[in-house]
Amino acid sequence: MAKGESPLKQFEIQPIIDINLFGLDISFTNSALWMTVTTAFILIFFTAPFLKSKKTNSVSDLYPSRMQVAAELGFSFINSLLNDTVGKEGKKYFSLVFTLFMFILFGNLFGMIPYSFTFTSHIIVTLALAMGVFIFVTVLGFVKHGVKFFSFFVIPGLPIYMLPLLIPIEIISYLSRPISLSVRLFANMLAGHTLLKVFAGFVSALGIFGILPLVFIIALTGLEILIAFLQAYVFAILTCLYINDALHLH
Amino acid sequence: MPQLEQVEFFISQLFWLGVFFVILFSVLTYITLPKIRAFLNQRDDFVKLHISKQDELIKKAESIIENYEAKLTEAKNQASEIINDAKDKALQESETLIKATEEKIQQEIRQTEERVTKEKDLAISELNVQLKDSATNFISKVTKIEKGNITI
Repeated sequence: MAKGESPLKQFEIQPIIDINLFGLDISFTNSALWMTVTTAFILIFFTAPFLKSKKTNSVSDLYPSRMQVAAELGFSFINSLLNDTVGKEGKKYFSLVFTLFMFILFGNLFGMIPYSFTFTSHIIVTLALAMGVFIFVTVLGFVKHGVKFFSFFVIPGLPIYMLPLLIPIEIISYLSRPISLSVRLFANMLAGHTLLKVFAGFVSALGIFGILPLVFIIALTGLEILIAFLQAYVFAILTCLYINDALHLH
Repeated sequence: MPQLEQVEFFISQLFWLGVFFVILFSVLTYITLPKIRAFLNQRDDFVKLHISKQDELIKKAESIIENYEAKLTEAKNQASEIINDAKDKALQESETLIKATEEKIQQEIRQTEERVTKEKDLAISELNVQLKDSATNFISKVTKIEKGNITI
């Protein structure tokens, strides 16, 4: 980073290929580039180990290779996550939660590579993902329960006179789900990357004492990788919980 | 903050997010995840199959051991039976043999006795004849009577 450059410059969108479709600017930007990288990596990582279709029908077919073990790890992680929160009905939503988790996780992780771009640090991206989840679970709730879905806002076992106060609160908390979901991810990525850049600025500014912020940056990078996992996990588990709410109401 | 300032790129970001999310979701749903699931199921089936096979084999082994033991006791019983039979048979045979031998010996004794008596009689009669002969000879010599005229 050049001296005096804003630590927020890393979040700037730079168009790589200008594309204009029906008057809409859908330029291929650095954000889209890293979405491409993330998508390609996930697809290769999880598909390639299972592509070889050698069917010798021997026991050796059943021994997973190293890459297969790695892919299985991700698979069974999401599987147990859905099983613990939603139960057996959750199997239908497996690929949605899996896609969300992997997309956010590898988006976050690739964002840790220097000079790369973290598309999850943009509120519009996280908001779109969160709105997608929000609309999906709301539609799911209506499809499963019809008008009864509105009983979700009525907490059972509450005295009647409390309802006028609590129903609006419940509705507000329900509507704020996509906002909290998206802002949580966006703010974590933004804060982490900004903090790293700010301390990176100190390294060159402090001369020989720059070793101290350098050490701090190394530790912080580890923490950021943890947060990359954690935020993807939080997004995925909240999606699971919302699906569970839509399926079982209370 | 570029996230809120670069509004002109919102459409582009949403568009590419949609494109890549849909691609990722579709490929994962229809190709990748079924493959992983099939692989895991194959292994689970194999393990389950072998666990059930193991139970079967253990049962089989137990029945074989039972069978073997039953056959072993049966064979032991048969063997002792055969031994007893053989003992009885041998005893019987030896008894009959002894009896037969005794009979034979007695028969021979009897035969010998008979022969002895016969020979004794013969010898006595012969002796009589000889005695007569010598007596007549003696008498004829003494009396000078023809041998043929002498009767004793």
